[in-house]
This record gives sequence, C-alpha cells and structure tokens, in this order.
Amino acid sequence: MDPILIVSLVVAIALFFDFTNGFHDTANAMATPIATGALKPKTAVIIAAIMNLVGAFLSTAVAKAISVSLINEGVSIGPEMVFAGLTGAIIWNLTTWFLGLPSSSSHALFGGLIGAALVFAGVGAVNTDAVFQKVIIPALAAPLIAGIAAFLTTRIAYIVTARTQLSRAKTGIGTGRDTFKIGQVFSSSLLALSHGTNDAQKTMGVITLVLVAAGLQSSGDHVELWVVVASALAIALGTYAGGWRIIKTMGSGLAEIKPAQGFAAEVASGVTILASSNLGFALSTTQVASGAIMGSGMGRRGGQVRWSKAGQIVIAWFLTLPAAGIVGALSALLVMQGTAGFFLDLIITLAVVVTIFQVSRRNKIGAHNVISEVEGASEAIRTPRQIRQAQRDERRATAKVSTTVIATKSTVKKSAKTSASKKPAKSSKNSKSSKGKK
Amino acid sequence: MEIDWNAFILVSVSSVIFSTVIVATFAFGVRLYTNALSFVSAAKKGSQTAAVSEVLNRTVAYIMFAIAGGALLYGIYLIVPVFHLDK
Repeated sequence: MDPILIVSLVVAIALFFDFTNGFHDTANAMATPIATGALKPKTAVIIAAIMNLVGAFLSTAVAKAISVSLINEGVSIGPEMVFAGLTGAIIWNLTTWFLGLPSSSSHALFGGLIGAALVFAGVGAVNTDAVFQKVIIPALAAPLIAGIAAFLTTRIAYIVTARTQLSRAKTGIGTGRDTFKIGQVFSSSLLALSHGTNDAQKTMGVITLVLVAAGLQSSGDHVELWVVVASALAIALGTYAGGWRIIKTMGSGLAEIKPAQGFAAEVASGVTILASSNLGFALSTTQVASGAIMGSGMGRRGGQVRWSKAGQIVIAWFLTLPAAGIVGALSALLVMQGTAGFFLDLIITLAVVVTIFQVSRRNKIGAHNVISEVEGASEAIRTPRQIRQAQRDERRATAKVSTTVIATKSTVKKSAKTSASKKPAKSSKNSKSSKGKK
Repeated sequence: MEIDWNAFILVSVSSVIFSTVIVATFAFGVRLYTNALSFVSAAKKGSQTAAVSEVLNRTVAYIMFAIAGGALLYGIYLIVPVFHLDK
C-alpha cells in the first residue's frame, strides 16, 4: 500500500470526524442559553463556531499526549494502524449515535486507536501508564469534578441571590436571577472555547500520529501549523452546520434548567475542560457537561436524582472505551489482511457513514437524535416542579380510588350522582393546573 | 504503574476554585444590582441615603461583574502557552 494514500485517507477521515464532532456538540454549549432565551439561535451558533475556531489554537498539550505518549517509544507503528483505529472509532461512534446510545466520540477515538495498536503490535505497544494518566482517570474524574463544582456554585448562586417572599412583596424587586442569562452569554462561549481546545486537538493528535508513522514528520512533539488550521476550521464548520438541529428541536426538555443553574453548570464544565486540556488530559467534553448539568440539578434546593437514569448514563460512559476498542481491534484485523482487507474496511466505514447520513436525513428529528446527550443528563434530575407534579398525580390517584370505593358501597343511583358531580370538578382542576404550568 | 496524582489534584482544586470564584462574584453582583434597584424609587423621591445606597450597590455590583470576567480571562491566560514562551 502506498503510505501517502493511507495518510491522505486518514487526514480526510480525521477531519470528517472533527466536523461531525463539532456538528454533534454545538448543542452542548448552546442549547441552554437558547432555551433560557439568553441568546438568539443564529447568534448562538455563530458564537459557538467562532469560539471553537479560537479554542483550537489555544494549546496543543492534548494533541501531543495522543501523538507522543499513548504508543510506547520505539514501537514502530504503520499508518495502517492509525487508519484501522480511526475507522473503528467512526463505525462505533456513528452506530451508537444511530441507535440512540449515549457515547463519547473522544472515547471512541481512544478506544479505536488502543484496540488497533494492541492487534498490530501487541500489549507492549501501548503505554498503559499514559493511557491511565491522560485518558482513563481524567475520563472518570472530570465529570465528577465538574459535577461537584456545579453543585457548589449552583448552591452559592441561589443562596446569594435569595430573597424572602416578604421582601419581594414589599420592594417589588425579585431575586434578579434572570440576570444570569447575561452571564450565560459568556459562560456558554467559555464552554464552546473549551470544546474547541480539547476536541479539535484530538484530531490534531491523530493526524500528527499518522504523519510520524508514515515518516513524514520526524517526531510527534510538535503539531504542524496546517494541521492546527485544518482541524480548527473543520470543527468550526461542523459547529456552524450543526446549528440547524438546535433551532429545529428547540423547546424540548432543557426548559427545566434555570438561568442560574445553566450559568453555574457552564462555568464549571468550561473551567474543568480548560484546566484539563492544559495538562494534556483528553476527556469527553460531553461527559463533563453532563456531569455539571447533573450537579447543578442537585444544587438547586429540592432537586432530586433519578438514580436509575443517572446510572444508565454512567454505565454507558464506562462501556464506550472498551467497546470502541473491540471495534478498533476488529478493523485492525481486517486491515492486517493486506490491500483487500484495507479497502474492505474503508468500504464498510463509508457504507456506515452514507447509510446513517441517509437515514438521518429522512427523519431529521426523532428519538435517536435528541438535541444532545447533555439534555439526556438533565433528565436524570427531578426538579422541584416535577416532584410537586408527581405528588399531585399521586393524590389525584388516591382520590379516585376513594370515590370508586364510595361508589361501590352506595346504591347505583347515588354512585351515578357522585361520579357525575365529582368528575367535572376534577377535570376543571386539571386544566387549571396545566394552564398554570405553562 | 506511575501515575502523577498531583496533576489530578491540581486540576480538581483549580477547577473548583475558579468556578466558585467566577460564579460567586457574579452572583454577588446580581444581588447588589437588585439591591440597587430596590433603592431607586426612594432615591427618586429625594432620599439622600437611598441615593447613596443605590450608587454604592450599583458600583460594587459592576466591580463584582468585572472580577468574574477578570478571573475568567486570567484563567485562559494561564493555560495558553503562547503567553508563557519566555519560561
């Protein structure tokens, strides 16, 4: 196989991966400010694209972590290995997206590369220390840290701005928590910036890795400028293109997030991602943002965790890396069979991409392409309003039971009377409360 | 296995501290700003103390917002290598 051909393919596929990453993650940063009305959809999408572009230029620590540390020194890896890892990651990532399983494109990428490296060069090829230091421990710790930070900051924001009903009635001045909408303009920009910093660098790392593997670059300790520019543009364009999805799916579940919570969660996740990028920790920006959303949900007084839902999300996080590793290893086995295997792998990847693109065009909005995984995370928290609603439903259910009990005890005529008199009253209550909610 | 735990502690602590500073100062800004609003009507009626309180609250509120923004910019400054080339 011509190495130049493989390198060009890897660069093209990596940039495509970068584009889909931006496309997929616009919502993470921008769904909340759009939902709370802090930003108009178009403005939000443009800001997100620019911030991603700028963020990609800020640092190369994560890219170096991928191009230098993950594979042990002295192990010669071919460009085929990078190709196999990357195609494995894309197949896994798009399939999970299509099936509606929460996944992480970052972990898919690492899993794919590690799986391919294991098959190509054996256990000794992978630098386990670096994998734990730069990928696995940050992956587990960062969402937790962001969650704790978001919990604390949400608490603080609510306590500091609290005003009693009495003082509100007396002065006519509210808590002013809507002012956090203005803060959200900045905090969501911060999140978009941190996204560009961490996620675009993963693409840079992969491209640098393949350039070194093919002998086109002497060592992976720096990132070529054209690689930085191309990755930055790909993620920014993807972010911009992903905007239509947000605009079309607006008004869904995220409305339960208050401006103060959104601000706290965005600051917590943005700061955590930036601090991690600085030390070369490659983490899933989606998971960090999800952790922060859950933390801020708990931080608001009366918020409750739906543990089963939260558990599902966390288990999916754990599974992505090994699962993508298996797919990466399988595509590596295929590529190792020679030219025919290589092209078969390429064809499978392209087939998956084209199929899913076609299907997603046909039904643009559905269960499988919800606005973002972060929104899924917000469903793991029960807000005070949802708890009150559940209690009301419960009371209504018990009230119904008691009426039927009375009805069965009394005569047929009486029961007809009671149900006739009680039911309309109840339904009018229902309509009132539902109107009040909206 | 050699894991640099200090790096994790550094990231965790600095993330929590920076987030707290940014959100807390912003929240105090919001609080003081609404305080200022509550003095507006009294100040308009000619109360000297209310006028002073309004200006004070408003000024400190803006300072708080500035600190929140400044902390954010300082954090970004810290992590961008271009600003630390001489080291």
